[in-house]
Amino acid sequence: MNKRIAVLSNVNMSYVIRLLKKEYQVWDAEGYGNELGTLMNGQSSYHAFAPEITFLIMDLMEVLGHKTDLPESWRREAGEIREESGGADAGKREAHAREDAPGGTSPDRDSLCVGLPVLRDWFTRMDSCILPGRLYYLSDAWLWGPEIGALPETSLAQRLEEQWLQGLAWLEQRHENVRIFPYRQIIGKLGEENSFSLKTWYLGKILHTGEAQKRLAEEIGRLVEKEAGVPKKVLLVDLDNTLWGGLAGERDHTPLELSEDRQGLAYKNAQRVLRLMTQAGVVLGIVSKNNEEDALTVIREHPHMILREEDFAIRRINWRPKHENIREIADSLNLGLDSMVFWDDSPAERELVRQMLPQVEVPDFPESPEELAPALTRLYKKYFQRPRLTAEDREKTRQYAQNEQRNRLEEQAADFGQYLRQLRIRAEAVSPPAHMERLVQLVNKTNQFNLTTLRFSLEEMQRIVANASQKVYLYRVEDCFGDYGIVSAVIVNLTGDAPLIEEWVMSCRVMGKQVEDALLARIETDLLAAGYERLRGRYVPTAKNKPVEQLYDRLGYEMVSRKSDGEKEYCIRLEERPARADHVTWMEPA
Amino acid sequence: MKERLIALITEILQVPEGTVTEKTLMEDLEAWDSVAQVMIIGEMETRLGISVPLEEAMEMTGVADFLARL
Repeated sequence: MNKRIAVLSNVNMSYVIRLLKKEYQVWDAEGYGNELGTLMNGQSSYHAFAPEITFLIMDLMEVLGHKTDLPESWRREAGEIREESGGADAGKREAHAREDAPGGTSPDRDSLCVGLPVLRDWFTRMDSCILPGRLYYLSDAWLWGPEIGALPETSLAQRLEEQWLQGLAWLEQRHENVRIFPYRQIIGKLGEENSFSLKTWYLGKILHTGEAQKRLAEEIGRLVEKEAGVPKKVLLVDLDNTLWGGLAGERDHTPLELSEDRQGLAYKNAQRVLRLMTQAGVVLGIVSKNNEEDALTVIREHPHMILREEDFAIRRINWRPKHENIREIADSLNLGLDSMVFWDDSPAERELVRQMLPQVEVPDFPESPEELAPALTRLYKKYFQRPRLTAEDREKTRQYAQNEQRNRLEEQAADFGQYLRQLRIRAEAVSPPAHMERLVQLVNKTNQFNLTTLRFSLEEMQRIVANASQKVYLYRVEDCFGDYGIVSAVIVNLTGDAPLIEEWVMSCRVMGKQVEDALLARIETDLLAAGYERLRGRYVPTAKNKPVEQLYDRLGYEMVSRKSDGEKEYCIRLEERPARADHVTWMEPA
Repeated sequence: MKERLIALITEILQVPEGTVTEKTLMEDLEAWDSVAQVMIIGEMETRLGISVPLEEAMEMTGVADFLARL
């Protein structure tokens, strides 16, 4: 590991640096407590060393200079404060602002809403020190000091910490290369009594105990490794003695260990960790030697399975060598082998994969079931957890939150119809040529609500959109809780004796709200107006699109043919179509 | 206890086992600087429950002084 790193602090971190030096090139900090000066001084040995990653581990009490009494003015609205302190601070900000500081990104320099002047000043100065092309990890806060127990209000410490976090969030948003170092989590886990030592503080301004410093160094090391490594995307898991105890194929003789107590609970909790990982964006796959049917029966029917079929993006359950299956999965997902992690209880299988596919990460498997959940948590932190949420993740989290609100509304509504009306769903037809990337992504990534599962490249889709004998419909949908974005695409082929819906996909985000009824009604009306009398539809079964197997039946289409493989063709006379749901309002293009 | 103390000092100084003995003095080892000294005193208190008073901390010059505290 050849990363150059620096650890800056306002307390003595020499021992942390000493621990890190065993494995990394670490800048020799000249003392402590001058972190901003070090960063600002272009002539400093810090800049000569040019660390790729700089860790700032700040003790909040020292930043505050032990002034924990809040100024009277600050206790009022933050807005008032900004006016009051605006004059002097603004001048300081100007003085420290570097001409080439990255600007233009939101939020701007003036949006720092930290009321406490000392912190406001710290963050404003820190802001001007951030260099592009370098990484910065700044610690979040745990306020501690000899006087902490005697603070007049218990909420005070929390409010001071919040001020720090606000400043941190501001920096993080302004700079793509600023990340948060989970200081709070480390102290919280170890506990105050085991983290801080007054003895070493008085003797040498060493605030943290040996154990706390060891953990700080470990966390720094973990982040350095993560920044250096290829980020992993896929976790491939074995089944027997990995997701559950025992063998799926022999469960008639010996029941599986997967339950609410003993080893069974250990496996169940391991699945809980995996489930959370999938929610955080880890792609989960199965690579297992089993009869597929035995395994699927367990996954589908076992009452204590946390993970179900839909949680696995891909699976290879067969008797072929695992490295062949893994190679195939990499091809199929179009991902490199170096983005995969393999999790299997069998030392022989692990060794084989290590030998055959050295790019695949193969962590050790714990000896006992109770170690499973902690080991998987470590695995997640080591390989998958991103140090900073991307905009996309944030968006995902926001969407989950909106869904939660929707679910609550659904629980409260008297019936489903009322729920749908209360959602106040609005839809809008958008131009396919203007949203080509989303169109291609939508068609190629949708598995469940996908009637024929045709896949197209960007070029192919461009030809389809330009082709006069094919018509592409694309829709954006929102409701009273938020925007779903562009969520459905329909490709209608106009050649032949009646138009045919060649492909229809809809994101699972809007499934279960009868939005499809409104979209189809719109297309039907459009085609009827264009002079067509009938419309045809097709369903081609896949492993994933069971949810729409009966879609056309439900929408009043008549099945005209059915092949042995389950492919079905439908037709409807447009004049005779049934009344469609009317809970969706159409936004007309301005 | 003696072994635990010597192990603790060895760990903090990050030196090979056997380097630190009952007779080792601070000045014998480059790694035993003032930071290491403070860490040893701190860890003695945290891990072994043995407190060295602040005013005496800087008078400790080697393993023997620490052993005398046990």
